[in-house]
Amino acid sequence: MKKTLYERLRAVTAAGASAAVVTRLGDGAQSLFDGERWEEGLTLDEERRAVVRRMLVADKSGILAGTEDLFVRSYARPPRLIVVGAAHISQFLAPMAALAGFEVIIIDPRRAFASAERFPGVTLIDQWPDEAFKKLNLDATSAVVTLTHDPKIDDPALIAALGSPVFYVGALGSKRTHAKRVDRLAEAGLADKAGRIHAPVGLDLGGRSPREIAVSILSQVIQVRYKGEA
Amino acid sequence: MSASQIYHDAIKALAAAATGEGTLASADGRALVDNPLCGDRVDMEVKMTDGRVAAIAHRVRGCLLCRAAASVIGKHAAGASPGDIERISIGVAEMLEKQAPSPAAWKDLEAFSPVHGHRSRYRCVQLPFEALLAALRAAGC
Repeated sequence: MKKTLYERLRAVTAAGASAAVVTRLGDGAQSLFDGERWEEGLTLDEERRAVVRRMLVADKSGILAGTEDLFVRSYARPPRLIVVGAAHISQFLAPMAALAGFEVIIIDPRRAFASAERFPGVTLIDQWPDEAFKKLNLDATSAVVTLTHDPKIDDPALIAALGSPVFYVGALGSKRTHAKRVDRLAEAGLADKAGRIHAPVGLDLGGRSPREIAVSILSQVIQVRYKGEA
Repeated sequence: MSASQIYHDAIKALAAAATGEGTLASADGRALVDNPLCGDRVDMEVKMTDGRVAAIAHRVRGCLLCRAAASVIGKHAAGASPGDIERISIGVAEMLEKQAPSPAAWKDLEAFSPVHGHRSRYRCVQLPFEALLAALRAAGC
């Protein structure tokens, strides 16, 4: 490994972010992918880059599918679930996601909801989501879910998330609510990206209670993490 | 009265104008207040000259009503004394709670009279005034 690439890898991982290193086994040429940018030697087409991204998101290492001589080594930190909205569902989702291996962060500017009493042991940020995101580094191994039911808070979070490399974006709300949301996002110039949002959020397990919805959201986040977007 | 009658065109225009939005180079007082129930927050700065407001600047994260109210302050606060601001704030509270006539000195406040009866929205209108009063206190007024 070249010194420059090694140092970049060390810098990325020391900053708590994730990266994948692709090595061509024949000659040792390498590239580093930090979830957003490609650096150094190899030239990979879009399709292969997408596969490397999926491997990094899932923290998988191995031979790059469709090739014989490209080896991908993922240096991924634990996946992160960023929940916008200290809602009732969040009270179940946060501990479930933590048990499933996620680093969980809850963001809600409504201090009455984002209280340590309601969310013991969880990282709580009582700022507006887009402001909080600036310090969080929304990277390829992060997922964002909005649960406030208030467009004033959810929309800025979704706009920021859609402009980032996060592997999953989900938003609570019915089909009707989501249709209106897509209209607002289109007005904000995100018509082409709004399709990335999982809404109604979560796998359709048929459950209705907050704890069941938390299971369906967590299931979908895990599914997308390992299998990519359907 | 439906929500659409609260968020009528005058309110939308005031919110869109965002008069007074920004920061002051040298503020005498500054206050950050928020509504923990809805997340709205107002960061208000005030500059005083001869016991009167010389300039204000605000940064608001909030709903349409909150942004519109801050905009009204941006339009009218310059030249007012702390006593004037206090009277206007009381006038706003009475307009919201008791359907009293809106404070005549700041005509734009009429736009908020339909909010009367929507108790959960009173604080949206009042938050920028709370912030201004707190900024005045921070300025030693």
